[in-house]
Amino acid sequence: MTLLKLQSVSKTFGGLRALRDVSFEVASGEIVGIMGANGAGKTTLFSLIAGNATPSSGEIWFKGRRIDGSRPDQNCRAGIARTFQIVRPFAGLTVLENVMVAVLFGSSRERSRAKAAARAEEILHELGLEERKSQLAGSLTLSGQKRLEIARALATGPQLILLDEVMAGLTATEVNELLTAIRVIKQRRSLTIVIVEHVMQALMRLADRIVVLHHGEKIVEGLPAAIVEDERVIAAYLGSAS
Amino acid sequence: MIGRWTIPLIVALAAACGVPFVAGDYLIGVALSLAMWIALTESWILLSGLTGYVSLGHVVFYGLGAYVGILLWGEVGGVLAVGGAGLASGVFALAVGYPALRVRGPYFVMLTFGLAEFCKYIVIDVEAGLGQFSRLLLGGPSVLQLYYVVLGLAAAATALTFFVARSRLGYALRAIRENEEAAETVGVPVAFCKLAAFALSAIIPGMVGALMVARSSYFEPSQVFDPIVSFTIVTMAIIGGSDDARGPFLGAALLVLLSEILWARAPQVYMILLGILLIAFVLFAPGGITGRLLSRPVKVKP
Ligand SMILES: Nc1ncnc2c1ncn2[C@@H]1O[C@H](COP(=O)(O)OP(=O)(O)OP(=O)(O)O)[C@@H](O)[C@H]1O
Ligand SMILES: [Mg+2]
Repeated sequence: MTLLKLQSVSKTFGGLRALRDVSFEVASGEIVGIMGANGAGKTTLFSLIAGNATPSSGEIWFKGRRIDGSRPDQNCRAGIARTFQIVRPFAGLTVLENVMVAVLFGSSRERSRAKAAARAEEILHELGLEERKSQLAGSLTLSGQKRLEIARALATGPQLILLDEVMAGLTATEVNELLTAIRVIKQRRSLTIVIVEHVMQALMRLADRIVVLHHGEKIVEGLPAAIVEDERVIAAYLGSAS
Repeated sequence: MIGRWTIPLIVALAAACGVPFVAGDYLIGVALSLAMWIALTESWILLSGLTGYVSLGHVVFYGLGAYVGILLWGEVGGVLAVGGAGLASGVFALAVGYPALRVRGPYFVMLTFGLAEFCKYIVIDVEAGLGQFSRLLLGGPSVLQLYYVVLGLAAAATALTFFVARSRLGYALRAIRENEEAAETVGVPVAFCKLAAFALSAIIPGMVGALMVARSSYFEPSQVFDPIVSFTIVTMAIIGGSDDARGPFLGAALLVLLSEILWARAPQVYMILLGILLIAFVLFAPGGITGRLLSRPVKVKP
């Protein structure tokens, strides 16, 4: 079943075309990887899906409803969560409070603060942050803040989660731990994941399918094994590396 | 947390209730003024302390309340006039809040300041058009009665801010203060929550405005919309230094004391000190006036 559908979505910032006629679909339960060099438009894509920005043209559909133009909080309650590549913790709140906000206002809209706290603690436990729960979020390490991004997104009770470079800047061990954590989390809920990652191996190991963006356009879409050998992808990466 | 603060607060409230039994008129007047500032500053914290939207025009609610109060008092009596003043300020906040709360940071500061000044001149013009440069309120309540009512409002404002800060709405407001876009992305209906805080913060100042007109028996627009009231509120809140209901007591007590000592003798010195205090606190608070200094200290990571 198609959960998310993008139909020739474009986004321009002033004169700059960040995305151009991008179309693809994500089926329920899938893990789709998004690849592309710096500035390819990956984060912009997430902002459009989550509602943080509106497409200049094109349509976005989620669960059969058109969502481009609706607000981020509406999309969140409909079941879409995202993390931010540049982390945005509620720095002056504790780690627990950060996650509680998401439980209180996400799709479950928990009314009781005690229940929200209990639920938040479970999620912190899944991401290995339970010992940091009383700490101010702003004082976490980068790795901790990346995990908090995931915890907070999960706490909204999403069906679709958009993970934006959650492994960037982490050590190899931390990447492995996080990969395992993400797999476990996915299995436990019936989650659909779209993930942007520069760590290629991580993407290869996790994704069912990969979409490659280049200068805002989708150049290839396919299985991970096919993507690594695709000439257009190699050309795009070599081209942008030089 | 409730436990640790309940007893001192009850003691303070009991002491405040006892003031008229041991104090003369002068001290009751000072206590009334202290209660008024606590009520105003607590209500400011509900908006600006929790959301980080620093209002420099909080006096607008006080002034409107005063105006509605003086218009109604003679017609419907004090109780309804005070209630009507609170209602009018709340409705006004709902009406202007939606557009006003779309701008953030220093722009919101300037906008609220401008809005209060704008309302002041509107009221001055309306009154001038009616041939009314000031109005008198005769037969108002005694200072003692006023003191107990305003004390009640100060307690109500403190309780309101305390409970809102800990409520579901309070979580939303503090999340908005820390990062509005992230708050919105985890499902917080930010426009609605900010508007709710704005309206809640307006009601008590409206009622206080009506009561303070009864205290001076005199209404004059440029006095009840005086921007110095807004500056004083912000200074009290910042000196109190807190994002919840415990903050204003210290700040209000200090400034009321300062004003009692200096206002009659050297008003300029008082104004200069107010400015210095405000600037000093703003400068030494790393995040600037928008939010961070109102929250608990945070280690900033590079
Ligand atoms: N708010 C904005 N205003 C103007 N230009 C923007 C804005 N957001 C993104 N851009 C531009 O759009 C293009 C795509 O940016 P985007 O952040 O989506 O790329 P990305 O693929 O996520 O890159 P990275 O791998 O560096 O995260 C870039 O050229 C960027 O400078
Ligand atoms: Mg990006």
